[in-house]
Amino acid sequence: MLRIEADRARFREIVRGRIRADLKRYLSTSELFARRGDRAVSVPIPQIELPRLRFGDNHKSGVGQGAGERGDSVDASDGEPGSGSAGEGSAEHALEVEVELDELAAMLGRELELPFIQPRGRHSILCEGGRYDHIRSRGPDSLRHTRRTFKEALIRTVASGQWDPKNPKVVPLREDYRFRANRPRPMPHSSAVIIHMMDVSGSMGREQKEIVRIQAFWIDTWLRSQYDQIEVMYIVHDAAAKIVDRESFFHLRESGGTKISSAYELCLAQIQTRYRPEDWNIYAFHYSDGDNWSARDTERCMTLLRDELIPRVNQFCYGQVKSAYGSGQFKKDLDESLAGEDRLVTAAVNDRSDISEAIRAFLGKGR
Amino acid sequence: MATSARASDLQLPPALQLQSERIQGLARAAGLDFEKLDFRLLDAHDVNGVAAYGGFPTRYPSWRFGMEFERLEKTRQYGLSRIYELVINTEPVVAYLVKTNSHLEQKLVIAHVCGHADFFKHNSWFASTDRGMLDRMGWHSNLVRQAMDREGQDTVESFLDTALSLETLIDPYLPLRRRLGADVRNASNPPTFDVLGFLATHAPLPQWKRELLEMVRSEAYYFQPQRMTKIMNEGWASFWHARLLTGGVLSDSEIVDFADCHSGATADSPGRVNPYKLGIELFRSAFEQGLDIFRLRRIHNDASLIDLLVDAEFVERQKLFLYGTNAKTGRTEVVERDPARVKARLIQDLSWGGLPQIELVSVGESPTRMLELRHHHDGRDLELDAAKATLLCVERLWGAPVRLATREGGEARNLIARHGEATVEDAVE
Repeated sequence: MLRIEADRARFREIVRGRIRADLKRYLSTSELFARRGDRAVSVPIPQIELPRLRFGDNHKSGVGQGAGERGDSVDASDGEPGSGSAGEGSAEHALEVEVELDELAAMLGRELELPFIQPRGRHSILCEGGRYDHIRSRGPDSLRHTRRTFKEALIRTVASGQWDPKNPKVVPLREDYRFRANRPRPMPHSSAVIIHMMDVSGSMGREQKEIVRIQAFWIDTWLRSQYDQIEVMYIVHDAAAKIVDRESFFHLRESGGTKISSAYELCLAQIQTRYRPEDWNIYAFHYSDGDNWSARDTERCMTLLRDELIPRVNQFCYGQVKSAYGSGQFKKDLDESLAGEDRLVTAAVNDRSDISEAIRAFLGKGR
Repeated sequence: MATSARASDLQLPPALQLQSERIQGLARAAGLDFEKLDFRLLDAHDVNGVAAYGGFPTRYPSWRFGMEFERLEKTRQYGLSRIYELVINTEPVVAYLVKTNSHLEQKLVIAHVCGHADFFKHNSWFASTDRGMLDRMGWHSNLVRQAMDREGQDTVESFLDTALSLETLIDPYLPLRRRLGADVRNASNPPTFDVLGFLATHAPLPQWKRELLEMVRSEAYYFQPQRMTKIMNEGWASFWHARLLTGGVLSDSEIVDFADCHSGATADSPGRVNPYKLGIELFRSAFEQGLDIFRLRRIHNDASLIDLLVDAEFVERQKLFLYGTNAKTGRTEVVERDPARVKARLIQDLSWGGLPQIELVSVGESPTRMLELRHHHDGRDLELDAAKATLLCVERLWGAPVRLATREGGEARNLIARHGEATVEDAVE
């Protein structure tokens, strides 16, 4: 059914245009986040409807069939009948459209004017594939190069003295056959690791985590589009830090105090053991409401960052999310004591509308 | 055909072919009369593709069909609903069967298709539809493609979207009046319900736009009878598939599966009327009363058949009720079961194809040339935002202001589209 696929493609194109135009809105909702697959996100969009003269439905009423007393609800089962042809009353269905993560990243990049990242590429690996710009004497018939084959045959014919200008016949033999071939070629290969660290102490509420989650989603999406291979690690901390899986990262709720240094120490340990800066592009993100346990611990954090973490990472990003208890000191402390570090980016997020600015700040340096 | 499959792949396998001939023979013996049936076997994905085009794989390209396909595919993949069969009102009658139907389902569907084919041939509302629509759709498709080549895809697409917003502005009774010999030469001049016809003739449009508008109009008239006879058509087909199958086609072991499949299709769905269910019950009731059901299927549409057959007993037996929104809770709930009011509402919902009645009253003098439309208000208000957007489409085609007189919440209102802006004004009655 080739033709319907063309129409479907056209429809998707229109939808993408709408998503692009509406990206600002998607940037501050968790709508997309929950629908993410491995390669694509299914984006819910309202069905695009042509305007028609029709009856208003603000007072839903009509004729139904079945049991029920006066006052019984009829909302519950709105099922379609088991068979039928293309239905009409389909206007209210929301549609879901799959958008590749790469494409979403491209939209994000355009919307926020993000520069491409120049990876600190260290590896070059030999990659199969490449273009068919090479010739060899063996191969499948489907790749046979007729001109080259005849040329070989002609050379052989002339060289062996069988060439007769009056009867210019050239018959290729097996040995004359030439085939198109591809050449393996070195491709730069880069890998990156994203380390998300989040403060889950009592003061980080549901909304704060939601904001972190949306930010992390977009950051992942963008960085993924920039690297061949990417790993993501999640660290949560209150007074102590631990590595968790993605699911818990977003849902965990701990309580108690906050010792930021615990997370930084764990992060550093991971970098030292698993992600050598020579092999990996490292991105560290830390989200917190900025309330640290003590000035002494903050001091410890500064030292860790300056001497250990920042020299090892591509970029260290700190996002301070404003919570119900207000915003803490930590961002100010960072900005003051590590003023000269250009691999350190800090951003304040007061509410959802600041998310896109924060993402731009984090990713806008192309590092 | 739009599929890449070879013609031989589309044919029924011999076992089904045999059944098909047998069922068709039984159907004709029972009094059904239909043109040659052309069955094609497709997989569910391809049937959705055909369904998205309204049954015509040759139809013109539009993103709307792509959207419909996307929706059908999603609901199929999620297992929410599936299409068993798709019948097209053409000659021969083309019927698409889905490969994944079970053998029993195929038999049921073949019998069902016989009912539809008989209905297409004999119901008077279908009498003036173009049976060569498959070719005509292909021709329309060429028209659109050529326009796209010349004018650009975006230009043509946006004009088509504008035109399609108006596809409901036709006179459903016009084809019948023409067939009955009425003088319809001035049918598209005001006052008229054939607003689309008026615009296609008189709007100041370049040739290609006029052609596309005429195309939209002719497709709208082609599909209109299906809107007006949905309940009857499905009811008639279901009535006959039940009769034919239980009258000897089924083996004993198939009866339970048949009952399951049949009752699935004709199940109650509270909150709205299932056309299969209501339709089959109407014909059953007529049959029990000893009425000539063949005559009924010839002369009626949904509204008139219900007017004839629905009485207090029918409403009670079929458990029909009126529902409405409870202002306090916002819930939709059962309001009452008074037969007269249920019947009145049912007819109201079905008359005029379930659409608001919009009449072109007059055209103003130059230079304003204001187009005056009137909504024949029957107690149901228009969706005003949609109406405003639609009026703007009319204005775009007409090239001059448009006014629609309607009512909202009991008050007279004028909707006016002028210079690309739509406003609502109180009207003096």
